[in-house]
Amino acid sequence: MKQIENIPDQGILLFKSCMVSVEYPGIESSTTYAFSKLGIDYLVSDEQSCCTGLGYYFDLFDQMSTTAIAARNFAVARKNGYTNITTLCSTCYAINKKACALLNSNDEVRLNVNSVFKEAGLDDLVYEQNSLDDVDNFYHVVEILLSKAKEIGRLNAIDFSGVRVAAHHACHYYKIQSDDMMGNPNHPLLIDTIAKSCGADVVEWYEDKTLTCGAGFSQIHVNRDLSLKVTRVKLESLKNAGVDLVLHMCPNCQIQYDRYQPVIEKEYGTKYNIVHMNIAQFVALALGADPKKVCGFKTHSVPLDDFLSRIGVSV
Amino acid sequence: MTGTMADPLSEYDTPACETLAQTVKKSLRTSDSIGISRCLQCGACTSSCPAARFTDYNPRMIIKRVMENDISVIEDESIWNCFYCYTCHLRCPRNNSPTQVVQVLKQMAINKGIGLDRLKVLFGYGDTFAEFGVSKIPDLYVGRMKDDFDIRWHEFKEDLDSVRSELGLGTVNVKDSGRGEIRAILEGIGFFKRQEKLKQMARTKKPIFESDTSNESGEITDEAN
Repeated sequence: MKQIENIPDQGILLFKSCMVSVEYPGIESSTTYAFSKLGIDYLVSDEQSCCTGLGYYFDLFDQMSTTAIAARNFAVARKNGYTNITTLCSTCYAINKKACALLNSNDEVRLNVNSVFKEAGLDDLVYEQNSLDDVDNFYHVVEILLSKAKEIGRLNAIDFSGVRVAAHHACHYYKIQSDDMMGNPNHPLLIDTIAKSCGADVVEWYEDKTLTCGAGFSQIHVNRDLSLKVTRVKLESLKNAGVDLVLHMCPNCQIQYDRYQPVIEKEYGTKYNIVHMNIAQFVALALGADPKKVCGFKTHSVPLDDFLSRIGVSV
Repeated sequence: MTGTMADPLSEYDTPACETLAQTVKKSLRTSDSIGISRCLQCGACTSSCPAARFTDYNPRMIIKRVMENDISVIEDESIWNCFYCYTCHLRCPRNNSPTQVVQVLKQMAINKGIGLDRLKVLFGYGDTFAEFGVSKIPDLYVGRMKDDFDIRWHEFKEDLDSVRSELGLGTVNVKDSGRGEIRAILEGIGFFKRQEKLKQMARTKKPIFESDTSNESGEITDEAN
């Protein structure tokens, strides 16, 4: 298990996410805003590619191709001297960790990937065994923010008291490499702890807290009814717990809740007074970010205007 | 697996072995320590599975069939209901991972031409990835999202570049110094060769089951990328 005192705040490669980029770009700008405020040394590189996670879990990408693309991104981190790869998305996190573990432990994989690099004249991409560690070099943004929770609480400028907040921790962060997550995978509390440090009224447990958001990669597209059934179960549970705000750590989950909540309301003839945002958007707000110019709430499907005026943020 | 064309990548995800369990253990998609042989049939996987909650997918039974070397399991449509949420993987007391096993079974199915109707809408994904270095939801699915979501989403999508620049963000696509690195890597590793094989199979083989019976031709529409 990662220890909070070992979470780095230097040399962080903020790993861009395909779904953040095109659905909720405010998550990235909120993260860089919060990182700057908290004195975290980070880099965003336009050489970094997507992790292939969407293709991998659509059953299109194979493990070897995914690993080769990951090795290229590891070279980007290495060349820039920012080797603490820190993701905005839980699938990027798990995909990169697995690729790193394979490159270190499986000689056949490493030799194959490296020979492809060499044959293509891309010798600078060659991955040297154990040049990155699959535990010590891979983080999710939520871990970095958790390590700064006290400072975030101290700098917080918003009165969140009385706001009922619940967390949806992303499956691919804590279920795949569960030994490495911060805390107890049967009851993850990373987001809860950060929200608490800002004085929110945190609902630590609600029915089905650890159930998937329902997106299931291709499921929302191919098995739409099944996917929405699962999401509805969680929304009902959050409603029963009287939750006002759900905090997320993965763009796929956020799409599933924020974009599909109005769809479920329409299809099931129900209504949820629940709004959604990413934990980085929440922290950025707490640290004084502009809801439009930094948090980018205008790309959300469930409008946040009423919620923001309730907590005294002018929109 | 007889009747399938060889491609260099299938050896890694679905290595040919004497038994299904051996293929699962040897596959790169599964953890080295996967405890499939230690399965107790306790059912912790099924009881915590979101797909089992709403469909007839039963991960405990899938594992049982794999251990019995019942090859027909790859034709079981229920395996396509797995969410890849890894809850079974977390809950298993024996370090087995039904979700990883299902990934291997689905790759074996795909190699036999099963489920290609689901895969063929993705055939442009690799090309987009090679060109721009980003993943993109296939247009077919984006069309459905357009129907589902309201005007706010449509407007924002039209306006993505200016929304991003207002937030101080650069372009979405990867810059790879004009070296075409990503395409060269995917080419070298054999990704396009595999994709070509799948495309060919989608053209010539009738899928065993189809979610959309209105499109029986198996034609690939390149626009759907």
